[in-house]
Amino acid sequence: MISKSNKTDLSRRLFLQTSGLAAGGLIIGFYLPSVGQKALAQEGAPAAKPIEAPNAFVQISPDNQITIVINKLEMGQGVNTSMAQLIAEELGCDWKQIRSVSAPVNPVYNHTVFAGMQMTGGSSALSSSWLQHRRIGAALREMLKSAAAAKWQVPVQELKVENSFVIHPKKGKLSFGELAEAANRLPLPQDPPLKKEKDFKIIGQSVHRVDAAGKVNGEAVFGLDVQIPNMQYAMILRPPSPGMKIKSLDPKTAKSSPGVTDVIRFGDKVAVLAKNTHAARVGRDALKVEWDEKGKTAFSDESLMQDFRKQAAGKGPAAANRGNVDQLLKESTNNLKAEYEFPFLAHAPMEPMNCTIHFDGKTAEIWSGHQMPTSDRGAAAAILGLAPEKVTVNTVYAGGSFGRRANKISDYTSEACELAKVAKRPLKVVWSREDDMQGGFYRPMTFHSVNIGLDKSKKFLCWDHQIVGQSVIGGSMFEQFMVKDGLESTITEGVSDTAYDFANFRCHQVRAQTPITTLWWRSVGHTHTAYVMETMLDELAEATNQDPLKLRRSLLQKSPRHIEVLDLLAKQTGWAKKKVPQGRAWGLAIHESFGTVVGQIAEVSLSGGTPKVHKVWCAVHCGQVVNPEGAKTQVEGAIAYGLSAALHGEIKIENGIITTSNFHNYPVMRLPEMPEVSVSFVKTTQPPTGLGEPGLPPIAPAVANAIYRLTHQRLRKLPFSRELKA
Amino acid sequence: MELNVNGKVVKVDVSDDTPLLWVLRDELKYTGTKFGCGMALCGACTIHVDGEAVRSCSYPVSAAVGKKVLTIEGLTATDKITQAVQKAWVNHHVPQCGYCQTGQVMSAVALLQKLKKPTDSEIDSAMSGNICRCGTYQRIRTAIHQAAKDLA
Ligand code: FES
Ligand code: FES
Repeated sequence: MISKSNKTDLSRRLFLQTSGLAAGGLIIGFYLPSVGQKALAQEGAPAAKPIEAPNAFVQISPDNQITIVINKLEMGQGVNTSMAQLIAEELGCDWKQIRSVSAPVNPVYNHTVFAGMQMTGGSSALSSSWLQHRRIGAALREMLKSAAAAKWQVPVQELKVENSFVIHPKKGKLSFGELAEAANRLPLPQDPPLKKEKDFKIIGQSVHRVDAAGKVNGEAVFGLDVQIPNMQYAMILRPPSPGMKIKSLDPKTAKSSPGVTDVIRFGDKVAVLAKNTHAARVGRDALKVEWDEKGKTAFSDESLMQDFRKQAAGKGPAAANRGNVDQLLKESTNNLKAEYEFPFLAHAPMEPMNCTIHFDGKTAEIWSGHQMPTSDRGAAAAILGLAPEKVTVNTVYAGGSFGRRANKISDYTSEACELAKVAKRPLKVVWSREDDMQGGFYRPMTFHSVNIGLDKSKKFLCWDHQIVGQSVIGGSMFEQFMVKDGLESTITEGVSDTAYDFANFRCHQVRAQTPITTLWWRSVGHTHTAYVMETMLDELAEATNQDPLKLRRSLLQKSPRHIEVLDLLAKQTGWAKKKVPQGRAWGLAIHESFGTVVGQIAEVSLSGGTPKVHKVWCAVHCGQVVNPEGAKTQVEGAIAYGLSAALHGEIKIENGIITTSNFHNYPVMRLPEMPEVSVSFVKTTQPPTGLGEPGLPPIAPAVANAIYRLTHQRLRKLPFSRELKA
Repeated sequence: MELNVNGKVVKVDVSDDTPLLWVLRDELKYTGTKFGCGMALCGACTIHVDGEAVRSCSYPVSAAVGKKVLTIEGLTATDKITQAVQKAWVNHHVPQCGYCQTGQVMSAVALLQKLKKPTDSEIDSAMSGNICRCGTYQRIRTAIHQAAKDLA
């Protein structure tokens, strides 16, 4: 079923995959003149932006191969398939003729919401492209129909489109390939009609992923697999602690290490270049470097957390404040008080960071899994002293990301450019797993304290919440639009905007600083806020003697999507009867993130101090589901990723140095730990909302709530292993 | 050094202790075998040496001399079990980012070569050395059962 790989194939595949241009016989040209831009500013449809250059997204060859250019990074979330489904649906093509390639950098591919750049992130691929991509497909379909109408001299109303053919009851049929050239000369239609949901043939189908075959036979080209002529492999020695400087360097032993071709110092980093990755690594290990201890600060993860606790004593600005919390706290006679600690977490995608670059002094070409190719290109151009147009950015498959590759300072791309600027030869910078885990960007450490006031009869009065967390966007271009009045949404999202209808509610935020570099990590602030909200909610249910699902339901009356999710979940599990096997317990959590509401019930047992999650039921409201099986895989994956962190995830720091280094001391979930996951979607015709991240936030609190039922222990410090002892 | 990779005899000029992984990837350009940890912890680099699944990141090239080395590229072309596993993987929507999947397939194939109808716990032990950060485990389990059925 799958063809054999060899060297020639590989370079050809690479070209096709990265250039965004199909080989030979293109009929529809790459950029359509901007006829459409102004003509199509749709009045009365404010959500729809003008259709721009549809041909930048779709190419049709004379032999009916349809190439969809994907302006998002395929990093596992399935965009090469689901985004193509949007276009293919409206175009009316035969799905089997579709293939997907990654887009080059061009403003036509900019994000429809995060203006001014091409980017993948925030679980926004489908929601932000839903209208844009369908309108592109519809516009091209209308153009193909017009071309057929002209050829046959019939009114366009008599035509229909099916399986890549335009069909006339008397004249017969013409294939898209036959019509493309003529269609390409026609003006863009003003207002192409979009299909009704009931007529969808491709949207809503679990078509197989277009990248699946290549990913199981080894043909798929990831960043680490890119080969360019005369390429050398580079491993880089980086400062062991932030801010440390090189005092002295002796490169001799490294230089004479077998296979090493060069040792290059740039700034306070040293690169070893060699004929293969192993030789580069051995050479790097042989470098003799003395570090200046002056720049070093002796902190540990524990000292940072102590500092966070201290900062929690003074209140930061309020991210939410309604009712009269101070007064009600005075009146309360019972309180539920809790403090929570969350560690730094590494993304640890399966493919360690890497970047391949060819810089010849005048132009540069870069290959990597780019989540933000516009800013990666900008960073490269600035470092290399080139105009951005002189830098070609090739986006290839990423072996996972989970936020790591949406780097606010383009870290691994920039570093490769800094090296290439000095080295001036084709090279691939390879990060070892240790480099990746120790030199990376982390989910910030966070501290929460919560005080819930109850009256004498244990009736709920108010909720007071304080969060100390580190900025994930500080110092980046995102700061200007993601920080308002000193408040950063990533620290309190999921608490300050909670859907629970508390009349008296307050959430303060302290934006803390540490020497550790931080970044968004699958579901960002929701990774910890959902945990605190949902475990406290269970505590409140217990204190007020209510069923945890009913309590949530009563507090969510103004949020119909939450109610639908809870009802679906109750139905899925038979919550009312709660047939829980002996020795096991159920825990519930519900949380909204990225516009999507997810509820989960986890069935858990304990043996010794080790929790075993047997089963997770999951109900999801994410609008219309474009590819149901694909959507399920995203939720399953988010559950595995979140559970992995809850059970094991913790970055340790001693004396200013990250000591966690590889999967032996940063254990991650393996197959035997994976629960059976069963996902259901609320049926709706609302447009899609995010799905790459929203499956994650509820899993840890759902499991913690189940563990409480088994042990009567509230777990406040993550990962669970810190408090759950055998 | 002379090696037998995917049925071909090839010469490589590397130091004896070079892990087979980097010989396959960087010298011979068989990039279907992936690097994930370098410490035999993740299984991304799984290949078959004389029919056994091994972690090529921790297998010195010199130890492979005189043995038959098979990578995903070699098995894909010729092996029925591998093809059945790949088909089941595609049909059950297993791969997400896909980076771990060639290693997963290699481990699954080694399992099915030994056990025609593995149980859940046999799958657990055969596959626990392969990490998938995208969390495709549940589907891997289903797909192995499916491949076993298809091969029966
Ligand atoms: S790279 Fe060999 S086991 Fe991880
Ligand atoms: S599919 Fe991404 S790591 Fe397994």
